[in-house]
Amino acid sequence: MKATKCVAMILAGGQGSRLGILTSKVAKPAVTFGGKYRIIDFALSNCVHSGISTIGVLTQYKPLELNTYIGNGSTWDLDRNDGGVFVLPPYQKEETGEWYKGTANAIYQNIEFVDQYNPEHVVILSGDHIYKMDYNKMMQYHEEHNAAATIAVIPVPWEEASRFGIMETDGEGVITRFAEKPKEPKSNLASMGVYVFKWSALKEYLIRDEKTPGSENDFGKNIIPAMLDDGQKLCAYGFEGYWKDVGTVQSLWEANMDLLSDPPVLDMYDADWRIFSRNPVKPPHYVADGASVTNSCITEGCNIYGDVKNCILSEGVTVGKGSVVEDSILFPGVTIGENAVVKKAIIGSDTTLGNAVVVGDKSVDSSEYESKYCSADISLIGGNISIGDNTKIGVNAMVTKSIEA
Amino acid sequence: MTDAMGIILTRNQDANMNELTQVRDISALPFAGRYRLIDFVLSNMVNSGIINVGIATHVNYSSLMDHVGSGKPWDLNRKNYGLFMLPPQVRGGAFGAAGDVDLLHNVLTYLRRSKQKYVVLTGANIVCNMTYTDIIRYHEEKGADITVVYNELEITDPQLKKCTTYDINSTGKVVDIHHNLSEPVSKNAGMDMYIIERTKLQALIEDAYANGSHSFINDILRASMAHLDIYAYKYEGFAGRIDSVVSYYDNNMKMLCPKVREELFAGKNPVYTKVKDQVPTKYLEGANVKNSLVADGCIIDGEVENSIIFRGVHIAKGAKVKNCIVMQNSVISERCDLENVVIDKECTLRMGKRLVGQPSYPFILPKRTLI
Repeated sequence: MKATKCVAMILAGGQGSRLGILTSKVAKPAVTFGGKYRIIDFALSNCVHSGISTIGVLTQYKPLELNTYIGNGSTWDLDRNDGGVFVLPPYQKEETGEWYKGTANAIYQNIEFVDQYNPEHVVILSGDHIYKMDYNKMMQYHEEHNAAATIAVIPVPWEEASRFGIMETDGEGVITRFAEKPKEPKSNLASMGVYVFKWSALKEYLIRDEKTPGSENDFGKNIIPAMLDDGQKLCAYGFEGYWKDVGTVQSLWEANMDLLSDPPVLDMYDADWRIFSRNPVKPPHYVADGASVTNSCITEGCNIYGDVKNCILSEGVTVGKGSVVEDSILFPGVTIGENAVVKKAIIGSDTTLGNAVVVGDKSVDSSEYESKYCSADISLIGGNISIGDNTKIGVNAMVTKSIEA
Repeated sequence: MTDAMGIILTRNQDANMNELTQVRDISALPFAGRYRLIDFVLSNMVNSGIINVGIATHVNYSSLMDHVGSGKPWDLNRKNYGLFMLPPQVRGGAFGAAGDVDLLHNVLTYLRRSKQKYVVLTGANIVCNMTYTDIIRYHEEKGADITVVYNELEITDPQLKKCTTYDINSTGKVVDIHHNLSEPVSKNAGMDMYIIERTKLQALIEDAYANGSHSFINDILRASMAHLDIYAYKYEGFAGRIDSVVSYYDNNMKMLCPKVREELFAGKNPVYTKVKDQVPTKYLEGANVKNSLVADGCIIDGEVENSIIFRGVHIAKGAKVKNCIVMQNSVISERCDLENVVIDKECTLRMGKRLVGQPSYPFILPKRTLI
């Protein structure tokens, strides 16, 4: 059989419940990012630029929109004669059929898929991180060190280290201990959720893990510790650059705002490492006489008649005359009426805000909309709803249903 | 699906476009920030359910080929039919294509191999969003041999002098055809768009070619008026004719009108183009943009007014761009001051340059100019 050197498996089945209303209808990897991307575009584009063209995307939670988005993969040049991108939902087998129980189980259930390509290595990725990374360099490192597994790590501030999976290494970069969310971290090297495994080794541990009673079938909690216990060589691959987990409303908002930083912390303009996405079929955006746009990212199909400052606007957004939108992220097709004021908000796709609507005003009591998902004064308005004229919404609010004028 | 195929004839000879068409065929002319003229006709074809489209090109077609590629943006990369580039066939030396008949004679084999009943034969220099299905129905209802498409222009419109015009009787039948009249007698301006049965077109081309004719209008249309029923279909929507620098400039500027944009781009029939995966445009602190159309991938830190800005343009702090068309990847540096200028692709203006044209005579900066 012809061997493919490397197959990538992207874990895209999680709900991402901490994104609140934004993931009520779509899986987290399909959430809009940066005006014209979906979060999964980063992992897929990284794969393609790293020369990996056989990719499985493991889906489970609300996969329809993600499936449609990925399509035949041509967006990322992944419509290939040999390999390409494949959406892999759980499926019925001879005797049983079950949901993916954990990250490791998801790969376990697709051992046959990977075996079809007979790869030497498998790259395991998360579909919900924002970063640009050359996995090929990591694989070279993995091969040079003859590791059973290599885990990409990034230094995080010590005070935040207890939120991550933390690697302790010896002087040679070999991992000596792995601690998932340690209370007293002994290192600040956090796992990025990017793994390269020798496929033969991973397969063995996946099969063994499946037979272990009580296992959570999770890479971080089970597979990695089991390999370490057996004395397998696990290496840490240090990554330098921008990396952001966008698991919460606040981190999603921050990662979007990072695109506006000057100079940008994440260079999106590198022609050799473009992040591919499905491009809308829309004309260029229009900025009207009397409008004002500063420090913002705006994409095709938008019509701006008001003031936009520090914002990320997705395709087809309209901002009406006299309206002021600041520090906000507007998803595709959002329409804002006239004389509205929107501050520090994330507004879901195709939602309409009427005239003189106020969002993100600290003086407005919005306790009825208060949500555990929203913090740092960020307000979240769900997709496909309409907010009637003159409605006022405060901070840290999550609006999930239409509000009549 | 529509039982018709499309033939797009691209030709520069009638256009007065100066430097703009020296480097490219007119059909590959960039338009409205992210399109090329060919996008409109190709999108009209696929939006009409036509899946067999041939582009008969003449000269300078590398930009065009680069742009249309396999036809994928229009879903024309098909196993059955799809997009066919039909460049000139060179027989023993130089290609002597003198006119449409020669271009069409070149594509006879392609016509014969196709199976569709009708051919939509069209040029590529009119910006409009139309479907041909209604026109084909009209063609069938009238029992026409050829249906020509026209729209009405003001009798004083200077573009009328460059058009084929039709005298039409009360049933819609064409009773006379004029071409390039210095004093136009009819407002019915032909849109260089024809519906005809494929086998009939084949026969007409063969005859005309055998007679040594070159002109489709004179030698086929006008010559066959006596024995063929030619009907005219009136198109009522927006039609931007690009046949000169001024009309190119004016029609781009018309895209600033929300009504025109809505008609062209917001309806149920999208206008497809090659995608570039550019990042959204970034506005910096110094940006001051008024009444302008801006495509993706730009970085804007200066003043922009009444302008069309294509993909990947950089406008630095303190630069002023007024009534301009700035094409792809051009760079306007600090303190430049531009008015009524058409800046072709990949130009670079170093700091403090001042260029001023007139609305009736826009200044053209040719492709890859460095000032």
